[in-house]
Amino acid sequence: MIKRYLSSLALALGLAAATVPAFAAEGGEDLPSAGANVADKASLQRGAKLFFNYCVGCHSLKYVRYSRLATDLDLSEDEVMNNLNFTGAKFGEPVISHMPADSAKAWFGKDPPDLSLEARAKGTDFIYNYLLSFYLDPSRPVGWNNTVFPNASMPNPLWELQGLQVAVHGAAKPGEEAAVEKLEIAQPGRMSPEEFKGAARDLATFLEYTAEPAALQRQSIGVWVILFLVALTFLLYLLKHEYWKDVHESH
Amino acid sequence: MQMGEVRFSLLYVADAAVTLPEFAEADFQSKPANGARILNGKVPESLMANEEVVDHGRRRFLTVTTAVVGGAGVIAAVVPFIKSWEPSARAKAAGAPVTVDISAIEAGQKVTFAWRSLPVFVVNRTKDQLAQLKGLEPRLLDPLSSDAAQQPKYATNETRSIKPEWLVVIGLCTHLGCVPDFVPDIKPEPFDANWKGGFYCPCHKSRYDLSGRVFSGVPAPKNLPVPPYHFIDDTHIQIGVDPQEAG
Amino acid sequence: MANVFSRIGDWVNERAPNLAPTYRKHMTEYYAPKNFNLWYYFGSLALLVLVNQIVTGIFLTMNYKTSAAEAFNSVEYIMRDVEWGWLIRYMHSTGASLFFVVVFLHMFRGIMYGSFKKPRELVWILGMLIFLVLMAEAFMGYVLPWGNMSFWGAKVIISLFGTIPFIGDSLVQWIMGDFLPADATLNRFFALHVIALPLVLLLLVVLHLAALHEVGSNNPDGVDVKHGPKGNRWDANKPKDAIPFHPYYTVKNLFGTGFFITVAAFIIFFAPTFGGWFLEHDNFTPANNLVTPSHIKPSWYFTPFYAILRMIPSYFGTAIWGVLGMFGAILLLALLPWIDKGEVRSVRFRGLGFRIALGVLVVSFLALGLVGAGVTAEVIPAWFPGVDVTTWENAFGRLMVLGYFGFFVFVWIYTRFGFEKTKPVPERVTMHD
Repeated sequence: MIKRYLSSLALALGLAAATVPAFAAEGGEDLPSAGANVADKASLQRGAKLFFNYCVGCHSLKYVRYSRLATDLDLSEDEVMNNLNFTGAKFGEPVISHMPADSAKAWFGKDPPDLSLEARAKGTDFIYNYLLSFYLDPSRPVGWNNTVFPNASMPNPLWELQGLQVAVHGAAKPGEEAAVEKLEIAQPGRMSPEEFKGAARDLATFLEYTAEPAALQRQSIGVWVILFLVALTFLLYLLKHEYWKDVHESH
Repeated sequence: MQMGEVRFSLLYVADAAVTLPEFAEADFQSKPANGARILNGKVPESLMANEEVVDHGRRRFLTVTTAVVGGAGVIAAVVPFIKSWEPSARAKAAGAPVTVDISAIEAGQKVTFAWRSLPVFVVNRTKDQLAQLKGLEPRLLDPLSSDAAQQPKYATNETRSIKPEWLVVIGLCTHLGCVPDFVPDIKPEPFDANWKGGFYCPCHKSRYDLSGRVFSGVPAPKNLPVPPYHFIDDTHIQIGVDPQEAG
Repeated sequence: MANVFSRIGDWVNERAPNLAPTYRKHMTEYYAPKNFNLWYYFGSLALLVLVNQIVTGIFLTMNYKTSAAEAFNSVEYIMRDVEWGWLIRYMHSTGASLFFVVVFLHMFRGIMYGSFKKPRELVWILGMLIFLVLMAEAFMGYVLPWGNMSFWGAKVIISLFGTIPFIGDSLVQWIMGDFLPADATLNRFFALHVIALPLVLLLLVVLHLAALHEVGSNNPDGVDVKHGPKGNRWDANKPKDAIPFHPYYTVKNLFGTGFFITVAAFIIFFAPTFGGWFLEHDNFTPANNLVTPSHIKPSWYFTPFYAILRMIPSYFGTAIWGVLGMFGAILLLALLPWIDKGEVRSVRFRGLGFRIALGVLVVSFLALGLVGAGVTAEVIPAWFPGVDVTTWENAFGRLMVLGYFGFFVFVWIYTRFGFEKTKPVPERVTMHD
């Protein structure tokens, strides 16, 4: 009897397990992890600072309000308005880049995308690796290329920090262009490679936050919800067990 | 033996009554005879055993405990749904203080501004109009603005304002929320032969004086509310912020 | 207080004398076999998820904007600006996926224990109708956020109707109300998703339960408790092997519910996108009629059927065979009571052939899901470098299509011509604990 119950259970678990390779495979491109931790307030603050110094010139965060940044990043209204808001927007308004759309098209061939949801659409790891992978490429219109997102129309906004990277090409197969083997720093920037990885991680973390500000709340609330539900389920088990004594006794 | 059967039934009724009265009454009060027939007057051992196994105190305790804990969980789960009706971040941002330029408002003129989507009347009252406020007290419901909810402390005066000539009120009738008409001229009106200027609500004929004080004998119960506001300089006021908050 | 209630009760009884007996029949005096195992949780869980979808759905409509220009923004508005909006939305999106999890398991239970067999054919048919409406409901709900996957999902699914000979193209335009999925499409899908289909769904669920209570529940042994001995400790006229649904299955299902909600809460609070399976990455990009997402695939719960569509090639210049195959896969399930002619209900006492066939069905269905989700296309080059992915995927996928349809063909032959060697079915149910 127990055997049968267990076989039922095993079947159910088996069905669940059958789906696991599917989930594992969903990861897709195996980019190195950014190691982002969206709960790290200091990292978020550094990332915000980088974003508002190097990115907001072209990219908006149209779903993110300055006031929400202040609450979620533990910053005061004055800190946000003086250190992050350079466009004269009101405290309650969203982060809109001041770059005119027309000139953006002229300069880069397309509008710089809104980055609010970038981390959800492309992944935090993608952003991190993308930021690390710019290199000089005179064949491209803006003079830059990227190994993670080949032929991106965006120049490296952080080159002052990272320095100038160039590509080292492998041996070209006949009829094909040589693949990029690795990237090297040709001219150092203000940051060491390790520091720059930290900066890219902070920016990726910040964009992970902007993609889902609720992530900050849901995990801390979730712990209590789960604890409560486990306790309730245990009580319900005891209740079920108690009532079912009637059934087990009468057969 | 029959006694045992009956006793068991009663016990069960007492227990089931906690969770389900219909079940207990419908089944057991009408059917002991049937039960006895089927069982041929013999109580199976398993039924005898039940009597000892069922721990009614424990059962009741568990039922009540799970009901209380589960009920608390349901209430907690309802809270987010109720909270979702609160003004959203967008509504709050739109309801932020607004700064308005009043330099273009001439004497005797009223301009309406939007604050939190509410119409805010800003009236530049003339000396003449201000003088009329004095004699109206006997005809008003609350001439001294005693209802503290209707205006901030700094507007609890005869002119209901910071600067005497500048009236700032929310232009919604305190009766049912229509927007009253601004009727500034001191002359007999169809609705009031002795009109000294003020606001007249077209919906249910409530009347207010030029300080937004309600007349007695009209449906509206309260004076027009004064929002928090302060003067940034002589020609700009900010609606939504008290003077002391603005420093 | 009790007096007031009883007087209200009397007042109602006088005017609607059948109400109370109906309530008792379906709720308080419903007797069910005592040997339900964990497979029997999923029916009540499906009902729970339905309630969740309706409640959270109502609250989502309060802030959702039905227009191609605003829909995407309004979803982000719910996620960010509305207090607790994120929770309500995640409850709805997670609920949608879990709905299919429990419904698939519920259906599998029915096949495994022969719950579709006489006299429960009507219950099964109504259940299959619920499944169909649920698929339509889920598809239209998926379109509403108007992300890029919503847009292209709508485009692809609606295009299925284009394969119908003669009227196909005009039918597609009629469904969309435009030349591509557009504002008009979004508006009509919204109307169907929030009003029309939920009403149909509720009606079908009521009928499904009414039909079930008419004949009584099956059980893991497939034994008819109604035909067994009578008299139990609660009622002298009820089957000996049945117990009152309330309180026994009420508390048991509450326990199952507690467990299920814990799992659901874990997803909602810690993995709401479930690695891109419950909320897809590409759907966080607004709809763009000029760019198709690189990995276009339907939601995971449609993938087995989608794979059947993809694996069946076009013949005679029309692609309708895949569409027929896809809908046929569902139709065959609905016809199972007449395909499976075996006398024995439960897999416990059925012949080895049926057990193996059932395993093949499950494996094929899951494998088709992987094919449809594009997992095989990723796994094949990783495991077998250098092979032609399309050839291998098609070979594997078509084998699985064969497995799926093979189940029905095999079971019909196996039971119709008396090949099945069943084990003796016991008189009474067995309890396992």
